[in-house]
Amino acid sequence: MHIPDGIISTSALISGYAATGGLTWLSLRKIKQRYANPRSVIPKAALLTAAFFAASLIHIPIPPVSVHLVLSGLMGVMLGWFAFPAVLVGLLLQAIMFQHGGLTTLGINAIIMGLPALLAFSIFRLRYIFGRDKIVPNAILAFIASFLAVAFGAMIVAVMLVYATPSYLDAAAERNAIIALTLAHIPVAVIEGIFTVMVVLFLLKVQPALLGSEQG
Amino acid sequence: MLLNVQSAGCKKIILIMLLAYVLLFLNAGGVSAHGVELEFTERSTVEVTARYDSGDPMAGAQVAVFAPGSPAEPWLTGVCDSSGRFFFVPDPAIPGLWEVQVRLAGHGGLIRIELAEGNIEPSRSTGFSGLQILIMAAAVIWGFVGTALFYSRKRA
Repeated sequence: MHIPDGIISTSALISGYAATGGLTWLSLRKIKQRYANPRSVIPKAALLTAAFFAASLIHIPIPPVSVHLVLSGLMGVMLGWFAFPAVLVGLLLQAIMFQHGGLTTLGINAIIMGLPALLAFSIFRLRYIFGRDKIVPNAILAFIASFLAVAFGAMIVAVMLVYATPSYLDAAAERNAIIALTLAHIPVAVIEGIFTVMVVLFLLKVQPALLGSEQG
Repeated sequence: MLLNVQSAGCKKIILIMLLAYVLLFLNAGGVSAHGVELEFTERSTVEVTARYDSGDPMAGAQVAVFAPGSPAEPWLTGVCDSSGRFFFVPDPAIPGLWEVQVRLAGHGGLIRIELAEGNIEPSRSTGFSGLQILIMAAAVIWGFVGTALFYSRKRA
């Protein structure tokens, strides 16, 4: 799901950085407003960033493409407003260490994975309406949030790539490859949905306070 | 003509061949017939192998080769074979930094190949071995765990 260097146009890269800058600012502002003690969330954020960082190394071969876990949904569900900065840090380290993604495309990739994380966050917050401590609403919302996060991310990638296909490439072949890649993310979305449900149900049982993204 | 005399003696064949060569030689300056000239020159071929970092080949990936000095217009385009390989022969008359872009559904990358006076400089590979990746990932994860431990420590 990471867009590497040298694929999309400079104007798209700059827009990506601008949007990422804006969302980071918004996230940090919200963190400052809503958390009495933001430092207390940092251990959770650090560990989930580690999981996010390592998840992209876990490949799931879905012929003809190879996809990897994204965990953007889990990040949003668990971290709330911390999700976007956490995704940004994880992506930076992936780009530096493994050339997964790229430094010029860091902004774009942060949007591709961070925006869905915020979407997952806002979906999972509906549990305050449907029953914060009940198992079924939590499980359903966690699955929907995580599934939609991956689907939304794959959608942004597909639109970006179709839009950015250079004229010298065989457009039809590239479009088919992009469609195959996007469809290959459906199983990933299901796997991540189930994984997030497992994590949420486990935490609901042993440490429900960790799920509350608003406590300080 | 030669076919008809193959059964004849060795000397005769040599004689006829010599005669034929002389005739050809005399004829060479005149009307050219169906003569085909084949030459060969050794050129360095560049083989680009495109794999995902999981090790799977990027079969059918589209390749665009950019000659030095024209980063917008591809010098050559092609497709990787089933094992993710693509061969091309760069024009030795254009020395400099050749760029090969491989992409398949947005996955892809750029490799730069230095061509100096017809010689291809082997380029640095960015691929890491599985063990290296494991150690690097472990180091980064330990960094995060350390951060978590630091912020969750009990205040003195």
